[in-house]
Amino acid sequence: MNMINMKNIFLLSIALLLVSCDKFLDIQPTGKVIAKTGEEYRALLTGVYNTFPTDRSLTTLRTDEMFIDGGSVTSEDYNTYFDIWTWNDITPDEKSTSWSWRQFYHTIYIASYVIDKQSEITEASPAVVSQLVGEAYMLRAYSYSILVNLFGKPYTKCDPTTELAVPLMVTPDVESVIGRSTVEAVYQQILSDINMAKQKLNVDKWEDALKYRFNKISADALMARVCLYMGRWQEALDAAKVVIAAYPELEDLTTTTYTMPDKYTSKEAIVSLEQVMKSAYKGIGYPDAKFITSITTGDLRKNRYFKAKTSQVYDLLKGGANECRSTFRSAEFYLTAAEAAARLGKLEEAIDLMSTMVKNRYLVARQTTTINSMKSMTQDQLIDFILEDRRAELCFEGHRWFDLRRTTQPKIEKTFSDVTYTLEEGDSRYTIVIPREAISANPLLSQEKK
Amino acid sequence: MIRQFIFILSLLLSLSMFAQDKKTQKDSLKAAQDIAKEFELDNFVVTGYQKIDRRKMTGVSTTVKISDETVGAVLNVDQALAGQVAGLSSVSSTGAPGAPLKIRIRGISSINGNQDPLWVLDGIPLDGTEVPTMEDLKDIDNLYQTSIAGLNPADIESITVLKDAAATAIYGARAANGVIVITTKKGKMGAPNINFYTKLTVSPNKGLGRLNLLNSDEKVNLELGLLQSNYSFRDNKGDVARILSNLGETAAFKAGGWDALSADAKNQINNLRGINTDWNDILMRTAFTQDYGVSISGGGNKATYYASVGYSNNQGNVRGVSADRFNATVKTNIRINEMLKVGVSLFANQRKQKSFMTDVNSFVNPVYYSRMANPYFQPYNADGSYNYDINVQGGKEDSQLNFNIFEERANTNHNRKDRQIMAIFDAELQFTDWLKFTTQLGLQTDAYTIDKYAGENSFAMRKDIERSLYTYSTGKAPFLPTTGGKHQVTEAHSHQWTWKGMLEMQKRLGDYHEVQFMLGSEIRHVDANSVYTAAYGYDPRTLTSQTVYFPSENSALLFPLHRETQTENAYVSWFATGSYTLKERYTLGGSIRFDGSDVFGVAKKYRYLPLYSVSGLWRMGDEKWMKPVTWISSLNMRASYGIQGNIDKNTSPYLIGIFNRRSILGQSEYVINAETAPNPSLKWEKTRNVNVGFDFSFLKGKINFTVDYYYRRSSDLIGLKMLPLETGFSSTTINWATMQNKGWEFAISTRNIWTKNFHWTTQLNFGINNNKVLRETVAENSTYPSREGYPVGAIFALETAGLDNQGYPLFRNKNGEAVTLTELLDLNPQGGSKLSAEEQRSLYKYMGTVDPKVSGGFINTFEYKQWTLGLNFTFNFGMKVRVTPTYNPTSFDRGLNTNHDVLNRWTVDNKNTIFPTLMNSSDRPAEYVQYHDLNLYNMLDTWVRNCNYVRLQSLRLAYKFDMKWMKRIGIKNASVSVEGRNLFVIASNYNNYLDPETMGNPFAQPISRDIIFGINLGF
Repeated sequence: MNMINMKNIFLLSIALLLVSCDKFLDIQPTGKVIAKTGEEYRALLTGVYNTFPTDRSLTTLRTDEMFIDGGSVTSEDYNTYFDIWTWNDITPDEKSTSWSWRQFYHTIYIASYVIDKQSEITEASPAVVSQLVGEAYMLRAYSYSILVNLFGKPYTKCDPTTELAVPLMVTPDVESVIGRSTVEAVYQQILSDINMAKQKLNVDKWEDALKYRFNKISADALMARVCLYMGRWQEALDAAKVVIAAYPELEDLTTTTYTMPDKYTSKEAIVSLEQVMKSAYKGIGYPDAKFITSITTGDLRKNRYFKAKTSQVYDLLKGGANECRSTFRSAEFYLTAAEAAARLGKLEEAIDLMSTMVKNRYLVARQTTTINSMKSMTQDQLIDFILEDRRAELCFEGHRWFDLRRTTQPKIEKTFSDVTYTLEEGDSRYTIVIPREAISANPLLSQEKK
Repeated sequence: MIRQFIFILSLLLSLSMFAQDKKTQKDSLKAAQDIAKEFELDNFVVTGYQKIDRRKMTGVSTTVKISDETVGAVLNVDQALAGQVAGLSSVSSTGAPGAPLKIRIRGISSINGNQDPLWVLDGIPLDGTEVPTMEDLKDIDNLYQTSIAGLNPADIESITVLKDAAATAIYGARAANGVIVITTKKGKMGAPNINFYTKLTVSPNKGLGRLNLLNSDEKVNLELGLLQSNYSFRDNKGDVARILSNLGETAAFKAGGWDALSADAKNQINNLRGINTDWNDILMRTAFTQDYGVSISGGGNKATYYASVGYSNNQGNVRGVSADRFNATVKTNIRINEMLKVGVSLFANQRKQKSFMTDVNSFVNPVYYSRMANPYFQPYNADGSYNYDINVQGGKEDSQLNFNIFEERANTNHNRKDRQIMAIFDAELQFTDWLKFTTQLGLQTDAYTIDKYAGENSFAMRKDIERSLYTYSTGKAPFLPTTGGKHQVTEAHSHQWTWKGMLEMQKRLGDYHEVQFMLGSEIRHVDANSVYTAAYGYDPRTLTSQTVYFPSENSALLFPLHRETQTENAYVSWFATGSYTLKERYTLGGSIRFDGSDVFGVAKKYRYLPLYSVSGLWRMGDEKWMKPVTWISSLNMRASYGIQGNIDKNTSPYLIGIFNRRSILGQSEYVINAETAPNPSLKWEKTRNVNVGFDFSFLKGKINFTVDYYYRRSSDLIGLKMLPLETGFSSTTINWATMQNKGWEFAISTRNIWTKNFHWTTQLNFGINNNKVLRETVAENSTYPSREGYPVGAIFALETAGLDNQGYPLFRNKNGEAVTLTELLDLNPQGGSKLSAEEQRSLYKYMGTVDPKVSGGFINTFEYKQWTLGLNFTFNFGMKVRVTPTYNPTSFDRGLNTNHDVLNRWTVDNKNTIFPTLMNSSDRPAEYVQYHDLNLYNMLDTWVRNCNYVRLQSLRLAYKFDMKWMKRIGIKNASVSVEGRNLFVIASNYNNYLDPETMGNPFAQPISRDIIFGINLGF
């Protein structure tokens, strides 16, 4: 080898070494991802759909729907759920399950992230992006609608402009520390998100296996529910009617071929995100027998939703399986529309809506008498009738606690091992205390009033 | 793989032999100069990038020559460093064969990041050298290996430890914890040298006497006593309770005591007293270890070669546990012409570790079981069948799974096989006498296979089947196949290549000026992958398995059948280093390095980090005005300042998600889970280093003394910060914590006696380290104090003040009064504390730190004619350990054996003791909750022990034969040696534990005491 050769090799090596290395460093890892494409953003949303909290279902324990039997409850269930059942928010057991505060806010974070990054989503048609963003608005609005009802005073039972509810995070920001917003502010955010969602959503119906996703009509469905909670009867009625027009069908319990309406395969199912009474919750106790026996004979739900074990103990037939998921279903909107109409004094319209319910829920032989009895009711009687029907229809689907809060907030008594626990009428515990771990991570949450 | 390797080996050898034949006069002259350089090795410091003249070395480093004389017979490289280097602490966490040592250089500089030093082999940084944390080591279900374990110490010439910023800055971000540079042996010109060694080790079975376990008689008495007391925890456990309950005499005994029992019951119980199963004897053994090696080296003026093979088999003191290693090494250096030199090295090894499945249940760990099994329990029935120990059970309180440790050993396997090949190619191009270009390519391939098998008749399998119980509509049934076993295999590969090129200039300008400058670039690429598969209903004879019908997605997640990981990283660096020396007395040095990496999700601006150092050396001893001071032979002063850094690879300014597949309504879809909060203001972790040191040499080198002071301040350390949950995340890692290390290092070596026939030399080295966390956050609801103002390894405990008149612990409160736990924590009736988290934190007292304050070694070598006697001590002082309580007053399980402390517990008749009474939940329910559910008992200062020890690491006597007849038959040298390792340890009180180092780990195997016989022969 001569000198010139050597020099060439040397120069070549130096040149090679100094080549820009940015490309060498651009390695796309496997398994990990920073979402860029439409499909990846979809997977991000599917991630939070998959872990969406079942707290609505957990509120069943606080209602009069379920009792825990000292003889049969396991020690594990006792430790985990007893304090929720007895409204002991202040000194709960170490192992007591906590409300999914962080998980709701994580869902909100991801939703806000998708909304924030919508213009950066690649490899997706504008329609697909629009639907993704619409669902993100819905996830945020829906999460806040639950949070504000768990931890804020009921809109109709307080001055919403001064009562504090939950912090309002609407940007994907991990560096800010904020305090609680008013009930009013949270509701305004929900309404605004629903309206944004309405403009963005464009899928009318998802195939059965994807029914956990929000569709176009779900914006009206959430609007109807939120307006009902706010006591805005006309808007609730209007929105509910839009939903009924799109999903008019109810399961016919008079036949033997009906599908349980809490299943996602039911024709009533509009959105099937949250599990109805997952088996962990279902196993804690039994449905309250007083409530079941109070259901009118001839109302098919008494036997279709429950099964008598003994004269005092009933088994719940709803829930307990993965397929039992219901977020919005048709019957809710018949009941919402009927209640709103009745409260607005539109009794005929209310009776009309309730007749459809009766035709699908009562023994054929009892239908006419039931409809006729409605016609002779005063406005208050009719409202009570609708609320009782709502209780029977939507029992164990996570509605009861929120309905109790916005209506009479009655006194509830529970007995366990000869000790009676009482929730007084209008008790402050109708609003759940913000979880300890949330307050310790953000001291601003302990603020009570604006 | 091994066969290919041997092929390459022979090829290289023949190549170098060939090269050797062609010699010219000129070459041999040059070669002779090379050899002269080799002998100067002592005068150079090998940094892995350069060989620096010791006279110009501004950084702090220590070089240890690796030979049996200096470090004794060690099986692994990391063991060789214990007690040899000031400022390097090395602590074993378990005595298992092949277990890695925890090595720290100058304390700890990162809280969450890697704390292990960087290992460099002949210039190439090694991958896969992280030592698992103490917590992982407690997880005895894993067999660990680091890539260091593959090297044979017999192949190693020397190890250099680089300590301060000036020495390590050239390594950039990976050097924050110090650098350990390994230089392997290479051939020397001359006739072939064949060297053979064998070392045979006996490690006697260590008794468990130190543990103070109960014998059968004591255990039976204890059980009888407890049955009559009101202590009710697990009162159906233990053979005494079982005998009485089978005979229906429990009530009679409780009422009337021993005299109320029937003859039959008395008989059966007394039978138990007669059985004394020596668990240590049947589960442990005296272990034998063999280590053989042969090397051949030599060379001509064109080329040198070194080749070796080695084999070692290391039995564990635990029966059924062993490790072996096969090594092959070949190195050759060839001078192609005047300008070009090339070198090739290959290191290959295969390691096997054998064990049996220990499952997730710690009882299956033989070390643990030998302490927990009742002395009256016999593992076999009279007919030879397994007797199942139903006192031992994991998991659920009411589960009754059959367990027998011998069945487990017979019917399960847990093997790990590691294969490693490292290849290093280097070339040096000498343009002129002052300019050269060197380039080096290093390849490293590691692969391991972990093979786990549990047969149908094993506790491990029974447990899995119990875990797979599912409520079907037809009733409860397991979904795993109920026949056959399970077979789990993990196959992992990692591969790295590093290529560096450097241009080096060294020139003397005139009489006074010397300049040295190097510029280089390095690229590195690492990829690793692993695949795990599992089969159930497995039959090892037919190699068949059965289909698992999972009833739901959640059930399938419990028993994954396939898992895969894959990572890939790339790094690019540029570096430069230079020094200027004036009059051979004043040297000023500096280096800088830019490191770039592909770390995923790191913004481009963070990709390149500049790390630098400046340093100086003043050879004061050479000054004219020092000449009259004749007793000082040399005196140097060194100083350096530099910045080291590191970036946390798990944090990113972007939202990073992990792919998964989940089905919500029965249809499987991709989901992305975003588990960690993005951190938009992520920064590098930085450590600023200052070092000042002196080297003295007195009386013509009879006494050498080196002292260094260092101050390291690490800031912007990544720490966990709790977030408001409304952000959607519970915590994030941010650059928050600050920590400092201050310390002194001393090394003294003396030639005490140096006569014609007798030499005595001594080396003493030690480091003093003070570590302090300057800033840290703790969760606001944490009831355990923050380390702010204390060392990173701080231990806090509640100060006790004896026992009260019911045998419950009393505590010293802030006013110095002895109070009950209820008063101390202001407990409510449910056992919750009414104090705020902050008030609870303030109740704890700082006890000390888990890291040694002073650690070092004391080495004496005596030579008399052909005899050599070596005496190496290592010591660590100033550590604290939180030990596991010998018994827990609320959950002492009478079904298991225990330590004598429980016999000395507080009772009405034994009030003068520190051990509390056994507690019932009904007696003081609030305190009971704290002790039982919240584990407060472990937090008592009673359970923090001092840990100081001096260990006689090696006592070695060797004899070198020097007989004429040997020369005649071609034996150049021969020696025999006998060495005792770990013969004794002098330590602060470690009663009830086997070794002072492993007090905190109840699963640790005892550190073995070894007697090693060695023979060395050279031809």
